[in-house]
Amino acid sequence: MAAELVELPFANGRRELVTNFPQKGAVLLQRTRPPLLETPFEVFDQGVFTSNDQFYVRWHLANIPSAVDPATFRLNIHGHVGRPISLTLDDLVREFKAFEIAAINQCSGNSRGFFSPRVPGGQWANGAMGNARWTGARLKDVLDRAGVKAGALQVRFNGLDAGVVPQTPDFMKSLAIDHARDGEVMIAYAMNGAPLPLLNGFPLRLVVPGWYATYWVKMLDDIEVLDKPDDNFWMTKAYLIPDTPFANIVPGQKGVKMVPINRMLPRSFFTNVQNGAVLKVGQTTTVRGIAFGGDMGLAKVLFSADSGGHWQEARLGPEQGKYGFRQWEVSLRLSSPGPHTLMIKAVNTAGIAQPDHANWNGAGFMRNVIESVSVRTT
Amino acid sequence: MILENVISTRLRDIVLIWALPILFGIALAIGLAWLGTSHSTAVVPKAATGPVPGWAKVAVDLPTSGTLFPPGKGADIANAQCLICHSAGMVLRQPPLTQDEWAGEINKMRNSFGAPLPADQVEVLAKYLRGIQGSQSPRGPSVLDAQGS
Repeated sequence: MAAELVELPFANGRRELVTNFPQKGAVLLQRTRPPLLETPFEVFDQGVFTSNDQFYVRWHLANIPSAVDPATFRLNIHGHVGRPISLTLDDLVREFKAFEIAAINQCSGNSRGFFSPRVPGGQWANGAMGNARWTGARLKDVLDRAGVKAGALQVRFNGLDAGVVPQTPDFMKSLAIDHARDGEVMIAYAMNGAPLPLLNGFPLRLVVPGWYATYWVKMLDDIEVLDKPDDNFWMTKAYLIPDTPFANIVPGQKGVKMVPINRMLPRSFFTNVQNGAVLKVGQTTTVRGIAFGGDMGLAKVLFSADSGGHWQEARLGPEQGKYGFRQWEVSLRLSSPGPHTLMIKAVNTAGIAQPDHANWNGAGFMRNVIESVSVRTT
Repeated sequence: MILENVISTRLRDIVLIWALPILFGIALAIGLAWLGTSHSTAVVPKAATGPVPGWAKVAVDLPTSGTLFPPGKGADIANAQCLICHSAGMVLRQPPLTQDEWAGEINKMRNSFGAPLPADQVEVLAKYLRGIQGSQSPRGPSVLDAQGS
């Protein structure tokens, strides 16, 4: 049976909707090996939590274990600690207080396909993100068990995946010691109340609320406390952003200071109205979507029915964790026939709003421009 | 607090899902120990110290891609080299790039990721990729940044 095709709204955006990935339902195929799978956007209209079987998938290196045996799996904590420890999954579940948090996992390059000019990399539309309830142990509690020594600077995370050729740098990410011990960064063994799908990191995944997914190391099996800055490839040569507001530069701009990508920015999306929708003049339509504040909660979501000329506050659904999606809705009644541009803009609790103009950088990271849809009334 | 209730309900569900098989396992192990040994030599049941039964071994088959690069001068290099580390779809879904930008991508794979592609094949491969997935003329500054992600 031929796979259903979906046209993502940018050039060369035709993607297959596939169902042949293990523990996954219908997802958009961006790359088979190593897997890049996008969540079909209509999923985000179903609620603020993204089901595990349609949660997007992103791997860097193709040598991914296709089996994990909990009987032999160990999580090792070592480095600049008093006593290195090796934990079974049982240890993690039974010996540490369970912690739960709702948090969005968003790829640094989510929405890269919309960059103008286009940039190379995974050509995602807006579905390289998802929100889940993560259950696990606080990283702080686990580090305390090992006893972090004075002088610790960073904590480095490594998973079971590896490159195909030995020269490929192993995928590792680091957080500052204070961030690692903030009581929110955690080691998840459950996602929406179930073990993680293998492609989302079974059995353990680092959860870094409010930060881009590059830090959320999958199949986490190694935690190393460092007493000097991590100089590994994935911290110093990759996942760098211009140190400018919204990581925004112009193509060809030189001499920009680059820093590791970090906190997420506010975003909002329409989920039940698409470009080209036809609405009836004088009829009230509920327009809704999702929004998030980035590395903090949302203050408000603003809606415009006239290309940003006037803005009104959308009604917000209940906050189910400040790092998660939140639904918004407005009752829209357009009284004149013709084309209309609807816009949606999130403002977070620090007052940071989505920008009017799209941010751009050569890596295609951190897109968060105000979203628009063009509708017509008849 | 509503949030705490949600959390505790969720945790209760997780605990229930995983605890029931544990209790069953313990009961089973005790029963087997009872059958297999005298009372005085019964040992701590294995189920109490082994993995939580909810932690079943997970083994999956990851799909493979049979897609090859379209014919042309350099396709043999693309098929022999690019497919070592990733399927062809990643390349075929890229936006158009100039030959220089493709050369930059190829050199990133060589220099940052250890692709064993000889230096003297870079130009042929970049020309090929420009041909199948290319921008025919420069249209502004290069969109490549120098980092290796």
